[in-house]
Amino acid sequence: MIHSLHAGIRLLSTSAALSLLLAAAPQAFAATPADTLVEGFAFDDIITLDPGEAFELSTAEITANSYSKLVMLDPADTSKVVGELADSWTVSDDGLTYTFKLKSGLKFASGNPITAEDVAFSFERAVKLDKSPAFLLTQFGLKGDNVAEKAKASGADTFVFTVDKPYAPSFVLNVLTATVASVVDKKLVMEHAKKVTPSADYKYETDFGNEWMKTGYAGSGAYKVLTWRANEAIIMEANPNFFGEKPKLKRVIYRHMKESSGQRLALENGDIDVARNLEPGDMEAVTKKNGIQLTSAPKGTVYFFSLNQKNKNLAKPEVVEAMKYLVDYDAIGAKLIKGIGEIHQTFLPKGQLGAIDDKPYKLDVAKAKELLAKAGLKDGFTITMDVRNTQPVTGIAESVQQTLAQAGIKMEIIPGDGKQTLTKFRARTHDLYIGQWGSDYFDPNSNAETFAINYDNSDAGTNKTLAWRNAWDVPKEYSDAAKGALLEKDAAKRAAIYEDLQKKLLATSPFVFLFQQTEVAGYSSKLKNFKLGPSFDTNFVYTVSKE
Amino acid sequence: MSHQSTSMGETLKPYSRAWLLSDRPTSRNQARLGRAYIIWRRFAENRLALIGLGIILALLVVAALADVLAPHNPVQGDLMNARLLPPGTPSYLLGTDDQGRDILSRLIHGSRLTLFVVVLVAVIAAPIGLIVGTVSGYAGGWVDAVLMRITDIFLAFPKLVLALALVAALGPGIENAILAIAVTSWPPYARIARAETLTFRNSEFISAVKLMGASPFRIVLRHVMPLCMSSLIVRVTLDMAGIILTAAGLGFLGLGAQPPLPEWGAMIASGRRFILDQWWVAAMPGFAILVVSLGFNLLGDGLRDALDPKEAGQ
Repeated sequence: MIHSLHAGIRLLSTSAALSLLLAAAPQAFAATPADTLVEGFAFDDIITLDPGEAFELSTAEITANSYSKLVMLDPADTSKVVGELADSWTVSDDGLTYTFKLKSGLKFASGNPITAEDVAFSFERAVKLDKSPAFLLTQFGLKGDNVAEKAKASGADTFVFTVDKPYAPSFVLNVLTATVASVVDKKLVMEHAKKVTPSADYKYETDFGNEWMKTGYAGSGAYKVLTWRANEAIIMEANPNFFGEKPKLKRVIYRHMKESSGQRLALENGDIDVARNLEPGDMEAVTKKNGIQLTSAPKGTVYFFSLNQKNKNLAKPEVVEAMKYLVDYDAIGAKLIKGIGEIHQTFLPKGQLGAIDDKPYKLDVAKAKELLAKAGLKDGFTITMDVRNTQPVTGIAESVQQTLAQAGIKMEIIPGDGKQTLTKFRARTHDLYIGQWGSDYFDPNSNAETFAINYDNSDAGTNKTLAWRNAWDVPKEYSDAAKGALLEKDAAKRAAIYEDLQKKLLATSPFVFLFQQTEVAGYSSKLKNFKLGPSFDTNFVYTVSKE
Repeated sequence: MSHQSTSMGETLKPYSRAWLLSDRPTSRNQARLGRAYIIWRRFAENRLALIGLGIILALLVVAALADVLAPHNPVQGDLMNARLLPPGTPSYLLGTDDQGRDILSRLIHGSRLTLFVVVLVAVIAAPIGLIVGTVSGYAGGWVDAVLMRITDIFLAFPKLVLALALVAALGPGIENAILAIAVTSWPPYARIARAETLTFRNSEFISAVKLMGASPFRIVLRHVMPLCMSSLIVRVTLDMAGIILTAAGLGFLGLGAQPPLPEWGAMIASGRRFILDQWWVAAMPGFAILVVSLGFNLLGDGLRDALDPKEAGQ
């Protein structure tokens, strides 16, 4: 008996060893169909497809391709805003009332007509659901009890939006290009709405279709979403009712592929048309292949790691500063993010109004040790870092782990997928969190607000800016500067305020900024007009055609 | 007690070959040593077993002297200047990984983790299996039925899947991985111990001890367990390769040792990203796992032949 068991074990161990090797090899698939675009894309961060709730980078790309908003960034010139559903708009003289006129004959993918009523409903729904992206709208003074009044349809094709302060119109319009302002099909959504019992936190009797919209679709974009299977695939099909230029390809499939090497092999074999998450090494390798091209676009996305101020050690100002000296920026820039990003230490990405490119910090262990000693932590301490298990953050986290160790700080890495780490971050239960922030709209206020304003630092705070998520009670002086810049009509003066604010945050904020992303995609030469947009929600696929 | 002469007056030099092989040992000690010597001779006849033993001894030496042998720090790399260097680069014999760390040094330090896992699992799982098996076999009746059904439940799950579930519940980390592997590997030992116990629970020497008034506890502990030991040792040794692979598998899936620990499975996982262009990052730890698993298998094979002559050659 022992002998036969033994043979079994040998077989088992051999096959286990083999499967370890094989796990690295990707599976082969047939070539992609001529009418379908297949993208390899890591989208493990998607939690929901509901535009009123979704606030994740990958979801924004899907929403941007499948929903329409009143206005959108001009893809050719991001400093301009053009109408999408809106034909024209006017701003009242006091700067408080925006009146949008919708284009005529618009239809949702479902066939229902798009009316101002739907626009008003979409605003109302986002405000009342009060999920992560709701602050984009509530910052204009919208609340659950006044939204019906402040965002209302005054006719079938006229939508009136009232804000609480005379903001710069470009700021208001920029915000309305965010995915939370996507217009949903009221009729379809309410058909799927579920009754809920009102509670202290949620006073409404319906969930506004939030549960159904998690995987459902009620939009009017170039493509309609057929399916989202978490960590597997997103399938979109051309929307026959789309009001704009008809998409060239019938179907777009995003395949969840986490590994850069897997994407590279699939791209080389023609299993996918576009590889979206190539790492520097693989990027170099695909450029040498025939029939594969690279495209890149600097993004308004900055990577950082942040220190939760609830942690007593991390709350000490000396520790905050020491952390900034304990990152090997040069090596990370030269090796880990080569080609996919540039070292950047301020909170505004290059390209936005007022952005500065100061880089005062360098790896300086001696200086950091001095600061730690001053904080009474000469022997270091132990902390954890929540890390989404994708590159490049994993590699950077490991590098930071090593440099922190040089100053005696023992950092434990807690790996998780995007959902886990984000959920923990939003609940403020992390020590260190490494992640990225993409501006919600192309205006410096997006980053200034999230990094420099914390409206209510208690756990009950509903405006969960990144400052809140790190329990950073922002000095009033900073918040006031950020709020003031918003009402500053003079662009030069506004820029000066942001420049000053960046310098202050550079020194004292619990954010260690690492780099600004350059997004790169490798794609098959068969594709025509494949482009990456300037932000995460402008990577449009409807222009793409295939030979 | 004198070991030097037999009752026949014949004098043997103590600890000599003839003394060890004498068929009339004059003391318990001589009998024991003699028996051990015979087992060693049978074991040593098997070349492959010696190779296995050599590998395991080398592993022990490397693990013990890791601090002296490793040319570099296993967790501090030189990201800027030494990232992904190929094997053979001066001062980096086996190349470097994506954080600029010396792979050889990581392998050397990783041997400690491997041994740590293997030894701890064996120390936890083997006694549990032995106790459950012998008690169940000796007691019989409902005790046997209950214990064996519990064993069946554990055996019904694939080992790695059960370990995965346990680690997922306990949280990733090498201690939890060890616990999970131990929990999943005792049932086969219980089965073996029970089978052995059944073969001699009704034999005369057990009846004799019983008549002398020994308690069941004493019988199981002093008379049944020692007889189960040899087959158990063989089985545990053979299982060690499996334990290493399971630990590496958990590390590979990110549920075992966490960075920066140089656990071999985790090293393969991080090297997987570079497998197309920088094969050595994943291949070197893979090779280390292969060699050590082979070593344990060969050693176990040899031990079985030596300890269990009736099974040998079947």
